[in-house]
Amino acid sequence: MRKSLKFEIIRGAAAILVALAVAMVFIFIISDVPFQALYNLIVAPFTRMRYIWIILERMIPIIFTGLATCVMFNANQFNLAGEGAVFFGGLVAGACAIYLRLPPVLHAAACIAAAMLVCGLTMLIPALLKTKLGASEMVSSLMLNYILLQLGVYILSYHLADRTQGATMSHKFLDTAIIPTLVPKTNLSWGIVIALVATVLVSIFMYRTRWGYAIRMIGINQSFSKYSGMKVAATVVMCQVVGGMLAGMGGAVEILGYYDRFKWRQLPGYGWDGITIAILAKNNPIFIPLAAFFMAYLRRGCDLMQLNTDVPAEMLSIIQAVIFLFFAAEQFLSKYRHKLVVRDAKDEIAGKAAEKEAKGVEA
Amino acid sequence: MEDRSEVVRMKGITKVYPNGIAANQSVDFSVRKGEIHALMGENGAGKSTLMKILFGLEQPEEGEIVINGEKVVLSSPNAAIAKGIGMVHQHFMLVPSLTVAENIVLGMEPRKRGMFLDYARAVSLTEEYAERYNLQVDPHAKVMDIPVGMKQKVEILKALVRGAQILILDEPTAVLTTQETTELFRELIHFKEQGHTIIFISHKLKEIKQITDRLTIMRAGKSMGVFDTADVSEQDISRLMVGRDVVLKVEKEPPSPTDTVLSVTDVHYQNEYGKQMLGGVSFSVRKGEILGIAGVEGNGQRELVEMLFDMNQPDSGAIEVEGRPVAGKGQAYIRGLGVSHIPEDRMLYGVAAAGTIEENLIADRFQKPRFNKGPLFKMDAIHEESDRLIEDYQILCRSGGQQVKMLSGGNIQKVVVAREFSCAPKLIIADQPTRGIDVGATEFIRRKLVELSREGAAVLLVSADLNEIIELSDSLIVFYGGEIVAYFEDTSTLTDLEMGEYMLGLKRQSPEEIRRVIHA
Repeated sequence: MRKSLKFEIIRGAAAILVALAVAMVFIFIISDVPFQALYNLIVAPFTRMRYIWIILERMIPIIFTGLATCVMFNANQFNLAGEGAVFFGGLVAGACAIYLRLPPVLHAAACIAAAMLVCGLTMLIPALLKTKLGASEMVSSLMLNYILLQLGVYILSYHLADRTQGATMSHKFLDTAIIPTLVPKTNLSWGIVIALVATVLVSIFMYRTRWGYAIRMIGINQSFSKYSGMKVAATVVMCQVVGGMLAGMGGAVEILGYYDRFKWRQLPGYGWDGITIAILAKNNPIFIPLAAFFMAYLRRGCDLMQLNTDVPAEMLSIIQAVIFLFFAAEQFLSKYRHKLVVRDAKDEIAGKAAEKEAKGVEA
Repeated sequence: MEDRSEVVRMKGITKVYPNGIAANQSVDFSVRKGEIHALMGENGAGKSTLMKILFGLEQPEEGEIVINGEKVVLSSPNAAIAKGIGMVHQHFMLVPSLTVAENIVLGMEPRKRGMFLDYARAVSLTEEYAERYNLQVDPHAKVMDIPVGMKQKVEILKALVRGAQILILDEPTAVLTTQETTELFRELIHFKEQGHTIIFISHKLKEIKQITDRLTIMRAGKSMGVFDTADVSEQDISRLMVGRDVVLKVEKEPPSPTDTVLSVTDVHYQNEYGKQMLGGVSFSVRKGEILGIAGVEGNGQRELVEMLFDMNQPDSGAIEVEGRPVAGKGQAYIRGLGVSHIPEDRMLYGVAAAGTIEENLIADRFQKPRFNKGPLFKMDAIHEESDRLIEDYQILCRSGGQQVKMLSGGNIQKVVVAREFSCAPKLIIADQPTRGIDVGATEFIRRKLVELSREGAAVLLVSADLNEIIELSDSLIVFYGGEIVAYFEDTSTLTDLEMGEYMLGLKRQSPEEIRRVIHA
């Protein structure tokens, strides 16, 4: 067990190194100041405290979408509507932040709860289409993203928009709904704490409750789960609802912790990042913050590279794509793994032989 | 030392699988031209692995292979076929919806105008080889419609058409009736006379004595030596194979059956191809007895078992457990009635292979109050349950946290059995409970099964292993063509030859005799 974990870590590190090597090749091709670009990409994000706060602050929404993806992918449900749910969760939270009248803390909590409720219910669409009609959740959830986006933009433009502003954005949130900053003079809110608490709760849910157990068993072998008497269809629906709630929560926490008005008019991209993160974390919720940190760090590095040199931030997509490719490729380094296995087996056989000999001597 | 007549020589073969199991450890193996050579050993001894290496399906970590005096690297089955090696697998590699002739030429199709299958040529090719080797097949029949024995002939023909001089047969008699086995042996001797070499994988002592010239015995991944068949006794072979005398007799008291637990009444079922798989099956199983279902595979047993566990539903008829119908009720409900099931396909239905042993052991009971406290699992209670079952059922593992896929076949089956036997079952459906597992585990599972039945469980045993079904069952029914063709109330005087005749459909009891199996 521990050996396979060690192998996974080596494999992950190798994938990241290959990705950086590929990025380096491109940087040397396109940049006039390649060394400066590399410095900005890799080292610069750690050079100032302010940059580190930014990395932590960017981790918040993607931890939530990473967790959402984790829960759904563990049951083999490739639901991709985390993206739409983040967006719509933000919108619902924003609306509640404008129109509800509640004391502080309670107001923010109510906004988050509303976002979770709406997004959880929304996920019933792809989930029930799957269990009742056999429609692929991947296709329906993907399309759902655009329905949620357009519906959200309509609500924003016609019902929430503050006409006194030059651009389309909502009215100002009430102060009671705002999630306060954690570190003064930064944008890092208490959202990071909420995200880490959510990570712990989701880990407990997945590994210490009957629902998480059913989700994981169904993901490993659905026929077996059905045969063992588990409620497969109900669990498939449930995991997507939980996924929707987590993604909606992410949108709410991001909106209330970082903005004072709702102004998203496009999908924010956090749902896609969540998928990458879940894959990096091998669908284990405990590793989600680590993977989120890595993604946020890369993003910061690419932003700094664009700011200070002639390499565009889109380099991020290349790095992400290469990591993705090598992580998903089962055969990557499989020969190395096989060598490890062979070595272990030989050691074990030799050990047994020695044991036998020792026993023989005794006798 | 080089023996001129050797057609195959494998030296120092070592193979380690990705799960860390060293299936072959420095194995030497050689076969002479024109002999029938048995490769023997328990399940998991490494016979199949060695042959897969010879057929190019697996690559060894170490060792060399010499064929007809020439050192070769067999990187794929195609390379092995080019060297004149053919293999007939235990599980047939045929396309059910294609005809016999189409299957035989698959991948080497004779073409018309360079593009289209020349079906007439495929048929004539099939007939030519069938004639030459005296293997009777119907070239036009679809593979899904032909009996198992004929499927095997198709597999053998496939190898011969590809020019096989050395034929590897992986447990060819496992699925055959006694009569079909006799026929196969006649054919094998015919091949031998024509100069072919045959490697015969088996663990059935009688067959080996009957047909082979020499034999190699494997145990735990190593070769135990090569012997002339005439020089070794069955007892010697069995001792070399398992390191002790195999005791397959299961001690059991006479049954004292009481109330009916399972009753099946006039069940009919047509499969998706419109073939009638069950044509009016009725029987019952009572508390305290083991009822066996014998029959060649594909005669409706699988369909019936699926229905008992609501994995499928009958077209008509009733299936009741203690008077409660089960069709359409779902597995949770059926398990709630006290039914447990050892599935035929253990990797698909029996375990979640990537899960831990513990996770697999609690799959049917994780929702019980004793494992939960509010929303949380009581991990202590779960560990305790899992440790207890691992101990009681002698599952060999490092800990309950080990992944099931890392275990050997016998231990995987013990995980299934531990779960299914430990839930106080009223009815146990055991479908091929010991298929493909080692002697130790087999013995253990059989003993447990008898124990539970004597404690009052009703047991329905489905098995293709004639020995097992005669040994274990108190009474027995035989399936043929989706119907019950015989009922034996007492199995103690039954011979496999007699059973074979019913299984092949040569004989059939009267409806009155068969009706006795319904205990109203």
